[in-house]
Order: sequence, then structure tokens, then C-alpha cells
Amino acid sequence: MNFLKKFRAKNKFNLVIDFLYEYVFIKRSAFAFGASLIFSFFIIQTSVPQFSLSATLRDASSADQSSRVMIGGAQGIFGGEPTLGGALQAFQSNMYSYALAKRMWNSGWGSRIYGNGEMDEEYFNKIPKRHQLSDRIASFLLGYNLNDYYSAHDLQSYIRSYEINQERESGNITLSALKSNKDFSIEFMNALIIETDNYAKESLILKSKEIIASTYNQLAISKNSSIASALGNTINSEYYKIANLENDMPYHINIIDPPYSSEYPVTPNVPAITFSNIIIFIFLSILISFILKNKDDLW
Amino acid sequence: MVNEYFDLVDYGGSFVYYIFELANFSILAFLLLITLKLNLININSFIAWLCLFLTPLILNYFIVSPDLFGDQFQYAKEVMSLKTSEKSISNASQFFGSEGLSAVTMSSRILGLAPLPNFMTVTSLAFANKLFLFTTFLWFKRFFKNENEVLLYFLIPSIILYSSLALRDTLIIILSLIFLINVIRGRIILPLIVLYPLFTLKIQMFSILALYFLGHSIFQAHSSWHRFRVFLSLLFVAALMFQDEILSVINLYRVAFIAEDFVAPDGSISYAAWNLYGDKIDDISSIFYAIFLAIIKLPVLLSIPLPWDWSNIFYPIQALESFLLIYIYLKLSSENQTYKKNEYILLTFILIIGLCIYALIMANVGTFVRYRFTLFYPFLLALFYLSREQDRERKDLKFKSID
Repeated sequence: MNFLKKFRAKNKFNLVIDFLYEYVFIKRSAFAFGASLIFSFFIIQTSVPQFSLSATLRDASSADQSSRVMIGGAQGIFGGEPTLGGALQAFQSNMYSYALAKRMWNSGWGSRIYGNGEMDEEYFNKIPKRHQLSDRIASFLLGYNLNDYYSAHDLQSYIRSYEINQERESGNITLSALKSNKDFSIEFMNALIIETDNYAKESLILKSKEIIASTYNQLAISKNSSIASALGNTINSEYYKIANLENDMPYHINIIDPPYSSEYPVTPNVPAITFSNIIIFIFLSILISFILKNKDDLW
Repeated sequence: MVNEYFDLVDYGGSFVYYIFELANFSILAFLLLITLKLNLININSFIAWLCLFLTPLILNYFIVSPDLFGDQFQYAKEVMSLKTSEKSISNASQFFGSEGLSAVTMSSRILGLAPLPNFMTVTSLAFANKLFLFTTFLWFKRFFKNENEVLLYFLIPSIILYSSLALRDTLIIILSLIFLINVIRGRIILPLIVLYPLFTLKIQMFSILALYFLGHSIFQAHSSWHRFRVFLSLLFVAALMFQDEILSVINLYRVAFIAEDFVAPDGSISYAAWNLYGDKIDDISSIFYAIFLAIIKLPVLLSIPLPWDWSNIFYPIQALESFLLIYIYLKLSSENQTYKKNEYILLTFILIIGLCIYALIMANVGTFVRYRFTLFYPFLLALFYLSREQDRERKDLKFKSID
């Protein structure tokens, strides 16, 4: 209790109470409270609700590594590209690539995002692009051209608004985004996952075919039996890869939870906005009262 | 949250961002008004701290992109994950095979204790930092007669900058300051308690301060020249005895800091790139060579960022500030003949050891400007405390006469 006495706790507590009665529990604070509610209502009304969309994926290689054990042979000798692991990075790179955006653009997704959804190629390659006035003024002043139409590059930017993260403990990959149109976004996210995986498979099949062709050429001129044997192994492993890839099974990832959306919008956060505005307005009221009563001391 | 997986809703820079963060500012400013009413601070401190409380709001998103200090996001994500799902998303730290709290998790847990209404963006954590720093100011200023003089030490650009960001440096500075002042005051328990979080938050700082604790509280090296010489000799003998262990840690940190900053020709960065493309660097093989190298590199550490490293507006300010801080340190040393005190000699000796260690492992300029300040600033305030000992004695006498 000696500490409290030294700190003069009772005296200080009384000062705080006086402060509250002098600046907080006054009519101005009530007006501020009312104004904050009106302001919050205005903000909430003008905000676009956004839903949290999410899909849980898992690295397919962690479940099925048997398909890759045959890799070795010539790759082992010549130090070829390692294939195990890195599914997240590979999936992410493919998903954010222009090549994938172009594929999806050609499937008409650009039309559904930026236009009226018509699947006619002539239409969706000529969707007019609107620019902000500031961008138009800047382009006029600096003398560069703005794009007249939407393109796969715009779709690529849109795809990049879908984030990929990996959960530390389970290793699950989560694809997530905040979008206002939840039904369309669920459909798009689903297509995005499947298309990314298909694109990865097709690229790998193409790559394997190229490796096989060039390895055959090497085999034809090789005179060393151990190198010929290694090249033979490479051809076998590439054929094996093609056999594994030419099916409908997922390659990079398995879908654990298909895309779905939160039931309620996550933003605008109505309680947080209202509460924050109440704090700000009441503080402003306190500050005004404080300045008015202490202006001589303050200046 | 869907899928029970935490994701940070990034309000950064939007209109609602300013609403959330203004609410945080309002709470801090309200507390400031109450402290003024309670006569805990004077009007100068009130105005200065009101401006200081605004800096997180002005700095992040408004003046500079928070990506300039990208580490902020991992703290923000961690706090929000802990608050929403009580799950940490930061990698646990490993120490002798056992898992412990990572520095990010511990910082986030401490910053999350701040009584703020919103933890929505990186700026919210910056406000938490400001609140802790203000509390430290209230605690620290009571040792001095002139509050305005103390206030000036809290207006140093780097402390304004780091406390306006969602980084752990402010926490490290606060804990180090509490540690140093209490060790100087002859306390034992509180400094030991403070050392625990420092071990997790910054192990380098822990090692330096633990050495100070050893010298001060165990060897009493601050009480006489003779004891200081004994401490110095034992330290030297210990450094020779454990040379291999000490050098292996220093060499590891040297490589780690170089690797962290490494950019490979193929564009890959950091440790992964270093593993593939990094050249072997020459290890320091003897303690004498380490001392020699540290002495050579110390002036560089004290002068970074050098003009050719200036890549943003903060760098020239920090370069000038570094010289200013050294000048203040020297000025405080000469005031009231503080340099003659054994307490000062021990404090400065430990500071030089700390700076030498940083000079040895120095790699990335931005990181080490921060590290240098985090080390130097608490020691500077501790010296300020030492140099005003006479004022404090007079103040105590005055209180006694009033009683």
C-alpha cells in the first residue's frame, strides 16, 4: 500500500474521474456519437461487400511419388533438372503465367470478366477498355498510347489477385481471394485450378516428347555403351512420365476442398467500422473541449 | 475464416484503413490527454508525443510503401492469426533440438497486448510500438529533473522511424533499456526476467547484455579498476579457451547474413540461391584475427549507410544521425567527468564489444543500420542516465526534504 500512497493513487483516480466528467460525459460527446453512427452508415452503404473465397489443395507428389522414382539414368549422369518437390512453386508459376492467362482468355473467361460473356472470339478480343481520366491525361501529356481493348494481360493481372499460401503444419496449399461476385468467382477459381494443372501436364508432355526426340538423336550417334544405356533409361523414364501425365488425374495438386465462399462478406467489417468511428468522433469531441478550455496553456 | 486458414485482409491504404488507424491514434491521444491531466507529462511532451503518435499513420502507405520494410507483414499476419485463430503461422525457432517461440511470434504476442481497438494492418502494430515506447518514456523520465531533455532523446529520427513500423526493434530497445538501467541501479531479478524475452527476440543482444550482467552483477567490474581488470582478463582467457565455439558462431552468422542478402545470376535470392551459387567465404580462424578484423570494420559499421549505398530518403538521415549519436555519446562522457566513472568504463567496453561483433558479421547495410541503432541507443540512454546521476541525487534530496 506504501506504493499506492507514494503514487498518490486516490488523488490521481479522482483527477481521471474529473477529466471524464469534464470532457467525456458531456452533451458534445452525445452529438459526436450520433454523428459517428450516421457517418458509419454512409460508409457501409457505399462499400462493396467482398466475400472470402478459398480452396484447399495438396501437393500431389506428396501422395504419389512412385511415378517419379524412375528418374535417374542420364539425368543422374548429366545432372539434369530435379523433379521432386517444389509443386507449390511450379503451380504458382504456371497459374500466374501469361501462357495460362492466354489459354483462359481463349476459353472466354476474359469475356465473362470484362464483357457480357459472349463466347464469340471476335467479340472478346475487342472489348473496349476504359481508363481513368488521370491515366488518359498522363498518356496525352507524356505521349504514349493506352490499350483500347482488354487482353490476356489484363486477365493475368486478375488471376494474380488469387493468392496462394502454404499452411505450415499440414502443408496444405490454400488458394484464396476476396471477391464481390461469389458465384462467378467460385466457378472461375475452379476453372483456374483445373486449367493450371492441365497446362502443367501439357507442357511436361511436350517437354518429354522433345527430350525423347533429342535423346534418340544422341542414341543414334553414341558409341559408348554406358552412355547409350543411360540415354535408354532417360527415354524409358520420359515415356513413363508421358504415360502418367496422359490421364485425367491431377498432376501438381489434389483438390482437398473445392472452391467455396464465406457465407457473409468479410469486408466491410461493419462492427469494426462503427466502433472505430465512434472512437474517432468521441475523441474529436474531447479534443475540441480540451482545446477550448485550455487554449491559454496550450499556446 | 473459410477453411480455418488465416488470411490477412489487406486494408492498406484504403479509406477504411484510415478509419481503423485513426481510431487507434485516438485511443493513444486520449491516453496522452489523461497523462497530461495527471501531470505525468508537461505540455511540451504532450505536443511532441501527439505528433509522434501520428507518425505511423503518416509513414506507412501515406509517405512510403510498407513494402520498403517488408518484414512488417509477417508480424501483422502473425498478430492477426493469433488473435483470430490462436494459431501461429510463423516457423517455430529451434534451439538445441527443442522447439521454442520464434522471434516473430513472441514480438507479435507482446505487441498484441497493447490495448488498441483495431489490429487490422501493419500500422496497428506500429501504434502498439508507439504505446510501449511512450510507457517507457514515462518510466525513464522519472529519473531526471529535466523532462524536456529526456524528450529530445525520444525525438531521434531512427527511434521515430522504427517505432512507426511493425517491427520488433522498438521492443528490443525498450527491453534493453529496462535491463541496462536496472543493472546500473544494482537490481538482479528484473534484468534476469528481461533477458528471457531478449533471448528470443534477438539473441545477439541477449549475448551482449548477458556479458554486461556478468561483468556488473557477478564480477562487480563497475566498482573498481582492479575488478574491471580481473573481469577483462577472465574474459580474454575465456575467449581463448572457447575460441573454436565463439568463432564457429561468428562464422555461421557471417555466412548467414551474406547468404540472406545474396542474389544469384538467375535472379533467385537469399539462402536458396546461396546454397546453389554461393562462394565459400574465408572463415575467421583465430580470436586475434577476429579482434583485428573487428577494429578495421568498426569505423565502417559506425558510418553506414555510406553515400553510395543511399537508396532511399532514410539513408542520408541515418548516416548523419549515426555521427550525431556518437557525438552525443562523447559529449555525455565528458559531462560531469562521467568518463572517470568505472560504471561508464564497463558500459562503454560492453558497447564496443557489441559493435565489434556486429562489425564482424556485417553484410546488408539496411539490416545493420537497424542493428547498430538497436544496440547503440539503449547504451546511449544508459549513459545519459549515468551522466545525470548528480541531478538525481539532488532530486532525491529535494523529495526527502519535502517529506
